[in-house]
Amino acid sequence: MKRKNTPPQIPGWLIRLFAWYDDGFVVFGDVCEEYYEIMESRGRTYAKLWFWRQCFRTFPVFISDFIIWRMIMFKNYLKVALRNVKKQKGYAFINISGLAIGMAACLMILLWIHDELSYDTYHEKADRIYRLTIDANLGSQISAPVSMPPAGPAMVQEYPEVLQFTRLTRPARYPVVVGDKEYFEEFVAFADSSLFEIFSFPFLEGDPKTALKTAYSAVITEEIANKYFGNDDPIGKVIKFSGDEKYFITGVVKDVPQNSHFTFNILRSMETRNAENRQLMENWMNVSQYTYILLAEGADPKSLEEKLPALVDNNLGTILKSIGGSIVLHLQPLKKIHLHSDFIGDIGAQRDIMYIYLFSGIALFVLIIACINFVNLSTARSSTRAQEVGMRKTLGAVRHRLVGQFLGESVLYSVFSLILSIVLILMAMPWFNAIIGRRLSLNIFQVPWLVPGFLGLALIVGVTAGCYPAFYLSSFQPVRVLRGRLIAGTKNIRFRRILVVVQFAISIVLIIGTMMIYKQLIYMKSKELGFDKEHIVVLPGLRDIMQTSHQTMRHEFKNIPGVINVGASSMVPGRGVTRSVFQPEGFSRDQSQPMDYRNIDPDYLPTMGIEIVAGRNFSEDLSTDKDESVLINETAASKFGWKNPLGKQFILNPDQSDQEGETRLNVIGVTKDFHSMSLREKIEPMIMFYDTTEYTTLAIRIAPSNIQKTLGLIKNKWKELWPQRPFEYFFLDDSFDSQYRAEERMGDLTLRFSLLAVFIGCLGLFGMASYTTEQRTKEIGIRKVLGASAAIIVRMLSKEYIVLVAIGNLIAWPVAYFLMKSWLDNFAYRTSLALWIFIATAFLSLAIALLTVSYKSIKAALSNPVDSLRYE
Amino acid sequence: MKDLTKIEEILLVAIWHLKEKAYGVKIRQYVSAVVGKELTYGHLYSALNQLVIKKYVNKSVGKTLAQRLGRPRIFYSISLDGVNALKAAMEMNEKLWSGISRYALEKEK
Repeated sequence: MKRKNTPPQIPGWLIRLFAWYDDGFVVFGDVCEEYYEIMESRGRTYAKLWFWRQCFRTFPVFISDFIIWRMIMFKNYLKVALRNVKKQKGYAFINISGLAIGMAACLMILLWIHDELSYDTYHEKADRIYRLTIDANLGSQISAPVSMPPAGPAMVQEYPEVLQFTRLTRPARYPVVVGDKEYFEEFVAFADSSLFEIFSFPFLEGDPKTALKTAYSAVITEEIANKYFGNDDPIGKVIKFSGDEKYFITGVVKDVPQNSHFTFNILRSMETRNAENRQLMENWMNVSQYTYILLAEGADPKSLEEKLPALVDNNLGTILKSIGGSIVLHLQPLKKIHLHSDFIGDIGAQRDIMYIYLFSGIALFVLIIACINFVNLSTARSSTRAQEVGMRKTLGAVRHRLVGQFLGESVLYSVFSLILSIVLILMAMPWFNAIIGRRLSLNIFQVPWLVPGFLGLALIVGVTAGCYPAFYLSSFQPVRVLRGRLIAGTKNIRFRRILVVVQFAISIVLIIGTMMIYKQLIYMKSKELGFDKEHIVVLPGLRDIMQTSHQTMRHEFKNIPGVINVGASSMVPGRGVTRSVFQPEGFSRDQSQPMDYRNIDPDYLPTMGIEIVAGRNFSEDLSTDKDESVLINETAASKFGWKNPLGKQFILNPDQSDQEGETRLNVIGVTKDFHSMSLREKIEPMIMFYDTTEYTTLAIRIAPSNIQKTLGLIKNKWKELWPQRPFEYFFLDDSFDSQYRAEERMGDLTLRFSLLAVFIGCLGLFGMASYTTEQRTKEIGIRKVLGASAAIIVRMLSKEYIVLVAIGNLIAWPVAYFLMKSWLDNFAYRTSLALWIFIATAFLSLAIALLTVSYKSIKAALSNPVDSLRYE
Repeated sequence: MKDLTKIEEILLVAIWHLKEKAYGVKIRQYVSAVVGKELTYGHLYSALNQLVIKKYVNKSVGKTLAQRLGRPRIFYSISLDGVNALKAAMEMNEKLWSGISRYALEKEK
């Protein structure tokens, strides 16, 4: 027979695929036989056509039969599966609860990650919105997410692809007067009216196009409108800022969604600033505002970015040349702001993408551990199912049908687990939200992917966890298993051991990670900071009051019993830094040095407990101190190479080119280094001025006893002096430590999730141990009869697991070492990777494993051998 | 006794007619010729399997032939239950059709 005369391959193959039983075989034979008959009578082409047609008309029937048949079998499978759950409640419980906990942990982390990834995606034009950031080199490299106020307008004018710009000041805290009431309001900012054209903030009242067009207009959020005006119509109402600045409310917007990289409660029109200080708004050297631009559809941000140096050159070229610096503007996509930017002083608290990776990893690991449990327990229990497999095979079940059955069973388990895990999530959500500081919910309307996502996860987990057991179970030879003797293969045992090792290795990495995070946290909170953060009450936001009544304030508060000292400054540690460039003696103007700067009064250093190592503090009695003297810190002295810094000078030159206008400031003292930011950052050179007009905060050191009473007295004094103004304060140590909230959260989460991981792992270990112990009941009985003591038997049963855990430790150590080393590299001041943590973890994991295993093994060892040998 | 569907009834009659030659190809060709409409293998085997499940026919494996690419023929024969079912179907048909002549039906045209 010639090759080309054979019937077409594809339809034949399809027939065999869909037919049930041996039909595929026979039907194919029938079709072929007839095909040759037809070929002889009517030719090959006709026969081929006939073949195809025959096959295609056959499929629908086959497929429907196939489905009906599956359903019948499915009923049987389901019955057997449920029977198994009932028969072995213990194992089913361990399996389902382990999987459920793993899935719940994984799903919660997924929800959180989804929330993090959803930042700013709700803006309709999100893909076309970019933020201007700068890389400036003015003696030192500075990167910031801010830009110059005239840059936005210039870009719209010069580049047609830039449709809109909007500028925003950093949302900050301001005192707001409404009627006769005064509030402190967070997140108050200035913005251009185009903000509402670029971003999507729906208006409840007012017209987005005109709302912020005029000077002294303001837009507030729904929440603020309710707070200030209750049920009254807020439009046209007046709110007052510091003194007499009256703003008319022209619009109410919906509250800013949680997943925004910046938030605001009150927006004042940028036009106000234009009216007040046009020069500042047109100054290309004023780098202070956040600028967002909207590009035309299809515009290429890359090519626009390439044009930006020309813009800077046109407007700043001469100045930059004279000081030998450079400024480069960049475009940052809106959706990248939240997770991919790490500027100091960004508009809101942004997240490091590292945390997303980290927790995705943890979610995956917890799930893997739960799946491993499932695999281990099902394969360990294989002998109980072996009879069934043998029976089914004898009755004609094909292997892939059995694989399907067991896979289906594990999917069933994972669906049970999913239901349980949803209950767990609902219970655990409030706590999880408290840790991550968000308001997530299992709301399928808010997060449409939830339902398919959950079902998908259940399916994936069921199939991955069920894969190995299914193939393993279905491989049994009916003859062997039905004879009643199933010798567990060594391959299977080795596989299970590897899985236990993996489980423990993951748990150990998580435990070491948790311990290291806590060690670093403790280190950061207890490290000598260079100042004493305890027992200091800080009153912030006092710029306007301090300008007029700094002295009154000092004296009034100092006289309160329990108050030790009172110092004013422009900034207290832990609340950010102000940085600029200064020209120290011995450096040319081009080599100006970046330094942190502060304005302090003479009492500030003693109040904070900052030591002076050389020279003297500012003095009230010397009038020259205010204008001609500065203090620096040790880092500054050593950076400028000053062996004897006292008497060295800084040159201040407000007018860039004029030699006449320059002033010289003498260094009169050097302070010990102190941390003004978290320990992630290095201590930078610092310069301190005695400028009484720039104070904003008051630090009050109080006696450690009777803190509440002293605080009450301070509050009363405040009410007496400024009855209009609400009293606002914080404790410096709280505020400083709050910088570590991200690390605290991370520590909290890793602690809890590693506990979960360990718990799930132990569940599995317990199940495995009890099973293997059961299997060896007879062996144990014989050993006891022959004289083995209980101790020997316990040791025998536990030895295997101890070896596994030890191997797990060996694998986990290097992984944990490198992971934690790279994490610690984020901190300028960090604790060491102590060996004792690794050793402690090893002991801990061994102890946990032993405890888990010991319950069953001790029970087995103490049992009466008569009972175990009698059966059969 | 389980009910026969029309196609099962037709197949049973066809197998009765074909006697020893009752296997897939022949049954299909015979039924297609009698009914005047192409019967596909899908329908054929779907119904044959039902007959097997109802135990009205027995299967036996025949010779393996080259033109069947190595697949054996499966021959079908009617079991005792099948004969009874056929008998019942025939009786029902006779009762059903009694008193109706071909002439009467053709006249309606």
